[in-house]
Amino acid sequence: MRAVPEWLADDRGTAALGAMLSPTSSHSLEALAAESRAMTLRRFGRTMTLYAPLYLSNYCSSGCAYCGFASDRKTPRHRLEADEIRRELAAMKKLGISDILLLTGERTAAADFDYLQRGVAIAAEEMQRVSVEAFPMSVSEYKALADCGCTGITIYQETYNQERYEALHRWGPKKDFIDRLETPARALDGGIKTVGLGVLLGLSDPVEDALNLYRHVRHLGRTWWRAGMSVSFPRMRPQTGGYEPTFPVDNQLLARFIVAFRIALPDTELVLSTRESATFRDGMAGLGITRMSVESKTTVGGYSENKEGDECEEKERGQFEISDDRTTKEFCAALRRQNIEPIFKNWEPAYNGPSGTINPERKAKADTLPNKS
Amino acid sequence: MDVLQLGSYTFSSRLILGTGKFSNSKVMLDAVRASGAQLVTVALRRFNREQLEDDLFGPLSAMEGITLMPNTSGASTAAEAVRAAHIARELSGSPFIKVEIHPNPQHLMPDPIETYEASRILAKEGFLVMPYIAADPVLAKRLEEVGCVSVMPLGSAIGSGQGLATSEMLSIIIRESGIPVIVDAGLRSPSEAAHAMEMGCEAVLVNSAIAVAGDPQEMAEAFAEAVAAGRKAFRAGLMQKSGSAVATSPLTSFLGTL
Amino acid sequence: MVNRVCGDVSRLAPAEYNKRNNEKMAQIITIELNGEQQPLPPDSSVSDLLSILGSDGKSVAVLVNDRIIRPENRFSHPIQEGDRVELLIFAGGG
Repeated sequence: MRAVPEWLADDRGTAALGAMLSPTSSHSLEALAAESRAMTLRRFGRTMTLYAPLYLSNYCSSGCAYCGFASDRKTPRHRLEADEIRRELAAMKKLGISDILLLTGERTAAADFDYLQRGVAIAAEEMQRVSVEAFPMSVSEYKALADCGCTGITIYQETYNQERYEALHRWGPKKDFIDRLETPARALDGGIKTVGLGVLLGLSDPVEDALNLYRHVRHLGRTWWRAGMSVSFPRMRPQTGGYEPTFPVDNQLLARFIVAFRIALPDTELVLSTRESATFRDGMAGLGITRMSVESKTTVGGYSENKEGDECEEKERGQFEISDDRTTKEFCAALRRQNIEPIFKNWEPAYNGPSGTINPERKAKADTLPNKS
Repeated sequence: MDVLQLGSYTFSSRLILGTGKFSNSKVMLDAVRASGAQLVTVALRRFNREQLEDDLFGPLSAMEGITLMPNTSGASTAAEAVRAAHIARELSGSPFIKVEIHPNPQHLMPDPIETYEASRILAKEGFLVMPYIAADPVLAKRLEEVGCVSVMPLGSAIGSGQGLATSEMLSIIIRESGIPVIVDAGLRSPSEAAHAMEMGCEAVLVNSAIAVAGDPQEMAEAFAEAVAAGRKAFRAGLMQKSGSAVATSPLTSFLGTL
Repeated sequence: MVNRVCGDVSRLAPAEYNKRNNEKMAQIITIELNGEQQPLPPDSSVSDLLSILGSDGKSVAVLVNDRIIRPENRFSHPIQEGDRVELLIFAGGG
């Protein structure tokens, strides 16, 4: 068993953050919010970067106790083929989306690295920015993914409490706590430009997790100092697996986390997904959050599927329940009412270097994924 | 034990002394002794048979517990600095080299490009490289990457006594650095040295402020105490500032509606 | 060395001068020392130059034509006509 890395004991900056996070903090939430809002405005202006998730596959070999896609859940499994991916991309582009996050479950024979790589290559043909939230990979796999046009990866530690982590991840490769910890570093070594980190709030002591998340960001930022970084605040919502959060985080505490992270990490992108309600998202938009998902579907094929008839015999469940179900149009209108400009394109693929332009190998990858029909 | 770690060397004193601008070497040596400094900078000069008392190597190496850190001042290119480093190591036997390259003799601002190149070469050759740089966070990371054991950003222009004019940039460098950050140049008063240490600098290098003080020996002691106090405060953890003004229209009232 | 001698050979004490240069007076060489012209008896080594200058050499770095001459080689390293010699010491600096 490998040792827990030294940076998890690095206390630089944690006292200040800890003082803001504690529910018994002497800092009033209102005062922190005022400071966070001012810092966000200075650094990011009145903008919000928008993205949407695209679930490529819901096959999974992991046994995460809290997840609707865990391998013991009885949800129908499938993966998108090339023509289906293109159909989803077209539907998303119609909404104005050009920044997407491709998702799969843990590595399986049905949806392995090769499949994901082909999916990335197809998406990179259509979208300005392609990120991946899938399974931990090797440096050479990340390099191959970057060559196909992937610029960012999201990999949540879920919880930094090793004991809780090992209890919650019942089987599968994800059980390896240290390997998970080291994954973002491998991605950056492989040439991925940005990494997204996060803890799943509700799994373990949230303040302890937040401090370790901060340590992780600072460690990566010091070592891979050219990397872009984002922090997300996913909060446990009722799952199809019926998992009830052991450490529930209420709205007040979540808001406190967000504004405290903005103050502690002035340059880091802070992300909030459609797991949260419209009211909460609108409220946090000006206070510290700089990147949001929009009009998300958490089912495989959710964007282009027939909205009327449901062909599946057993209704497919998403990975988690969406709370903010506004359309892109409605959501952007709400942002504009707050004097915040929605940003659909914040990245030009030409910056990806040679692979961002015409790359025959990438084209070949994209063309090798079979069609469904 | 809280020590300053530079390469494989450790020092209990976090005050590094420069030896220039003193009225004579006796005053300088008394100040070094009073400061408790263990790392002392010296510069290469041409031998002058008329001024044999200029030679500091003898008296400094006779003092116990002093490690010399020669600088490359006078060099205006990387090649000159590398050459100066080789000569200096020959003389001092010390692996430390303060890379200091200022092409403009008026303001003495360091040349980032030549400094980077010289540091890269010297670190590869096994020197413990301590580059004197402008307070530039990106340059600091690039120098860390090529193997410097520390970076020494300026607080303000050499000899200016403007204190920590670059504190905004210094705090970024300190936050991002994986190697000790040592403020070099610009400090005028012990309180500024203490402030630098409270910010998380691992050491400070002081020369002019001590050399041209009314009583250099007394000032050396004052700096030593300030540096120790600042370090202690940093380790103890400063109290957090309390939140500032509260907006008149509450920003978080929406939470109550959820 | 009993008498402190200056580098200028013409100012050497007569006995010293004669001892060293008995038959070689005409062959006195000129080197460039720290940027200035310096006459020197022929067949001088680096060590000879240092003692002429009154230095024990312990705290002096020596470069001949840009090459560092380490202490153990100073006895054997000859100085020749036109050599550029730099002698450097540590002085005050920040």
